[in-house]
Amino acid sequence: MRNPGMSAKPLAFFGERWATFFLLAMLIVFSLVGRNFFAFKNFSNILYFATTYALLAAGETFVIVTGGIDLSVGFVFGFVAVCSSITMRDMFAAGVPDTVCMLVGSIVGLGAGVLPGLINGILVARLRVPPFIATLGMYGVANGMALNLSQGFPVTFLPPRVQEIGNSFIAYLLPGKAFTFFQRPLNLQPSDLRYLLGIVPGTVLVAAVILLISAFLLARTRFGQHTYAIGGSKDAAIRSGINVPSHLLRIYVLSSLFASLAAVLYVFRVGLGNFTTFSSSYELFAIAAVVIGGASLMGGKGTIGGAVIGILILMTLENGLNVMGIPSFYRYIATGLILITAVVIDQFTPERRASSA
Amino acid sequence: MPENFLTARRGRGGTLWLGRNWAFLFLLLEVAAFALLGSRFLSLENLQNIFVACLPVLLLGMGQTFVIITGGIDLSVGFVMGLGTVICAKFMFLFQAAGLPPSLSIPLAVLICLAVGLVPGFVNGTLVARLKVPPFLATFGMYGIAYGVSELVSGNTPISELPAEAGYIGNEYILYIIPRKLVSLILRPQDVSKLELQNMWTILPTVVVIAFAFVLIFAFVLRRTPFGQHNYAIGGSMDAALRAGINVPRHLTRVYVISSFFASLSGVMYVFRYVTGRADAGSSRMLDAVVAVVIGGASLYGGTGSVKGTIVGALIIATLETGMVNLGVPSHNRYIAIGVILVIAVLIDQFFPELVGRGE
Repeated sequence: MRNPGMSAKPLAFFGERWATFFLLAMLIVFSLVGRNFFAFKNFSNILYFATTYALLAAGETFVIVTGGIDLSVGFVFGFVAVCSSITMRDMFAAGVPDTVCMLVGSIVGLGAGVLPGLINGILVARLRVPPFIATLGMYGVANGMALNLSQGFPVTFLPPRVQEIGNSFIAYLLPGKAFTFFQRPLNLQPSDLRYLLGIVPGTVLVAAVILLISAFLLARTRFGQHTYAIGGSKDAAIRSGINVPSHLLRIYVLSSLFASLAAVLYVFRVGLGNFTTFSSSYELFAIAAVVIGGASLMGGKGTIGGAVIGILILMTLENGLNVMGIPSFYRYIATGLILITAVVIDQFTPERRASSA
Repeated sequence: MPENFLTARRGRGGTLWLGRNWAFLFLLLEVAAFALLGSRFLSLENLQNIFVACLPVLLLGMGQTFVIITGGIDLSVGFVMGLGTVICAKFMFLFQAAGLPPSLSIPLAVLICLAVGLVPGFVNGTLVARLKVPPFLATFGMYGIAYGVSELVSGNTPISELPAEAGYIGNEYILYIIPRKLVSLILRPQDVSKLELQNMWTILPTVVVIAFAFVLIFAFVLRRTPFGQHNYAIGGSMDAALRAGINVPRHLTRVYVISSFFASLSGVMYVFRYVTGRADAGSSRMLDAVVAVVIGGASLYGGTGSVKGTIVGALIIATLETGMVNLGVPSHNRYIAIGVILVIAVLIDQFFPELVGRGE
């Protein structure tokens, strides 16, 4: 009885943490092979582009842990980006001060983003529509709404301060000369600009805070425990007195809310609102990251930290390929391959109870 | 008493029929609504256009029908279709550049495309059937891979400058009739006056005939052969199918190969029709294909579904698209309508199981 457990241990140890090892290995390889990969600016860039995906993946994690799936996140993201930016554009055009525009625009976006989640949740939790179908329906509806509102064009002419705020850093360092928080050093010479180093993009900090809160929510609170319980066995969860429908409803709202947060941050970062194209495949990357991070589509497994590592793998890969001058569409191939590898590894990794037996 | 009994039974039979055929009734209602609201919606030309428009959804949905009946799902079909268009177009382009006549370059390119199209299905099938990867994830992985490979092959730009003959196949008809003058088969009549051209009837688009030939063959396979029976058996209960001696892994592999065959066939039709190959040609069609199959009465839990249902589902979507164009409604509204129809279809299925005939 002991022996199989012992021999399974190292395999299980590696199988559970392969994503972390893989990320480290990839960082080392790209640092050695790619020129300009190992640079502060580049790592900052990876995080900068990862925020959108990490937030989508965090929301998706909650859903997948309950044993569901949310295919609509990518198009909800586009829908919210369009809602929020249209509000900002129209208010700004009407002469409202830009601070108010941004505030109202963000709130409208987040508010609009709750609706798809509410509908998904009601369909899944109350009307027992399979999550796949309910969110596939929302995938179509949210996409149509976004295209309708934006008329098929990116929404531009937002207040200029939007992009300024979205691209600000927590701190600025001008080596040997100045170090400031939140604002660029005053009296910059044009020649200094090249050396100005931004430390931690603001959007990354915001996303990191949200991710930490959600990790706490999933790992340390009763809400999180119930989420795992429902994913482990819905029957057992019902019998132990958890109000499963209302919990599931909240989970789908949460997923949409994360997509909306990602969208609002995106609007600030890029300075415009765009609908989601079919080939951008946000939901592929979000779901892939969650699964790479160790979640199972059967539910009951998965962590926010795992999902973030999954996203970092995918984004490092894209960035590394870019730096090496390899066309970016290889990342779709790589993502697909890594996703399938992740599931196969998960399939062949001995369960933890085998090693504890 | 007997009278009562009879009427009661007839009443139930009526609702049962309604439940089973609600999709068909919905299609008729849809056509009637657009006929009333639109202009010349019921013309022969427009009705034929609906059939042409339904082809991508129908072909992707055909493969999806086989997969969904086994209780699986194939999310890769949209991008496998894109891959099909790109491979087909690329080889047509290369063969043309090598100096081959169109009569040789087109069939060769089509054959290569259909052969290459079996590969994603084989990989999907092997992953699902042998390595026990959940279908959702295996085909989701393939979704990314197929898209990446087609961007790679096409070099990130649509492939054009193909032999013009390819377009003839895609946009011509089987039968041309000029009333009281001539009937021409396959060949478009030459040397006719403008007036006669306006009065000419063009009947049976070639692509529709080709596509429906394949659809009918596979409808037969699903309904009348052991292969089809095994398909339903696996979807009903995989354990029972195993115990009954069905080689489930081999069968599942073939099912995913069929799905990706239909996806690349749809790609070939796209090349014929638009004389170009693009990686994102089918990207918006994955949703539509699943919707068509589910509207057609299939359950994602497996065991139910039919080709007839999928045809009706595809026609519902195509009628919606064509009708919206006819009314001048922006076409992106169709995504909303299709999403809503999908959810309604499942709700009907959910709440009226005995209505749909699944109560037993």
